[in-house]
Amino acid sequence: MSRPGSEPAFGWRPGLRVGVGLGLAVFPVAVSFGALATTLGWPPLATIVCSAVVFSAGGQLALLTTLTGGSGLFLALGAATLINLRFLPMGVAVAGSMQRPAWKRALGAQTILDGSWAAAYQGGGRYDRLTMFGASAVQWPVWILGTVVGVVAAPAPELVESLGLDLVFPGFFLVLLLDSFRSTPRAPLIAGTAIALTAGLVLVAPSGVAVLLSSLAAFVVLIGRDRRDPNRPDEETTE
Amino acid sequence: MTLWVAIAALAVINFMIKAAGPALLGDRPLPPLVSLVVHSLAPALLAGLLIVQVLGEGWGEFDWTLVAGLGVIGVLWLLKRSQILCILGGVVVTVIIRALV
Repeated sequence: MSRPGSEPAFGWRPGLRVGVGLGLAVFPVAVSFGALATTLGWPPLATIVCSAVVFSAGGQLALLTTLTGGSGLFLALGAATLINLRFLPMGVAVAGSMQRPAWKRALGAQTILDGSWAAAYQGGGRYDRLTMFGASAVQWPVWILGTVVGVVAAPAPELVESLGLDLVFPGFFLVLLLDSFRSTPRAPLIAGTAIALTAGLVLVAPSGVAVLLSSLAAFVVLIGRDRRDPNRPDEETTE
Repeated sequence: MTLWVAIAALAVINFMIKAAGPALLGDRPLPPLVSLVVHSLAPALLAGLLIVQVLGEGWGEFDWTLVAGLGVIGVLWLLKRSQILCILGGVVVTVIIRALV
């Protein structure tokens, strides 16, 4: 996620401003999720509640596509969980910037979102939690509202296609993937491996299995590493 | 019923994933290799999701106009446009192509 400016200010208000921009980006994604879930047969209330309590585009879409694709509960949860595992290192990164005690840190960490987390980065391994809180505080209601709009309007698949809305989710994933090239070591190699692996897997396996197994591509980052220095600190977050 | 269980379970799992680092580890970092693999899951899974969305099972949903739109998104990303502009640009080009062919 690109930074909002060359000299960003940090705190609640700047966070809210960043959140408005991010909200504009997530709104069509939320509308698409609501519409797609309705088209695939999810009840309206469940779709809206899902957005309210999960609040994760990648995780929600993985759950939706795997469950409606015929995968079982555990497989669907596995795919969605693996996608959201990226929040684990983000949480570790912001841990030192969060307020004690532990329960406050745990609650504050719920505002970790890709865009908010990136906007809160001050450099030098430091994060401004108030910026992250503000940015996420705007996106959460926008995410729910967008889902409601998608559920209520529930455009037909033909209309979704003619409006190009079927590009929103893959486009969203592509932008996040490209953003990861800036912050994750060997991300192009990992992505290339995952693309080849998944493209082959979808020929013979359900989509949920293919997404789940695409995570194996993450291990290519270890190739050749032990020969250099297994204890060398990784060079992540180069943005 | 399965759907509600899945939503509730994912909400709890999501909460725990986000809370784990700040609440349990505090300032202590993950071991370097573990951190590297966990951090690398994002590009791997995003690429997997992207391919599943584009190709579909058995490559049955492949649509070249969608790939063209994704190409536009890639170009706009290289030009450092915002996320929303990248996606909007891709959508507009895809719609135009579909209207023309």
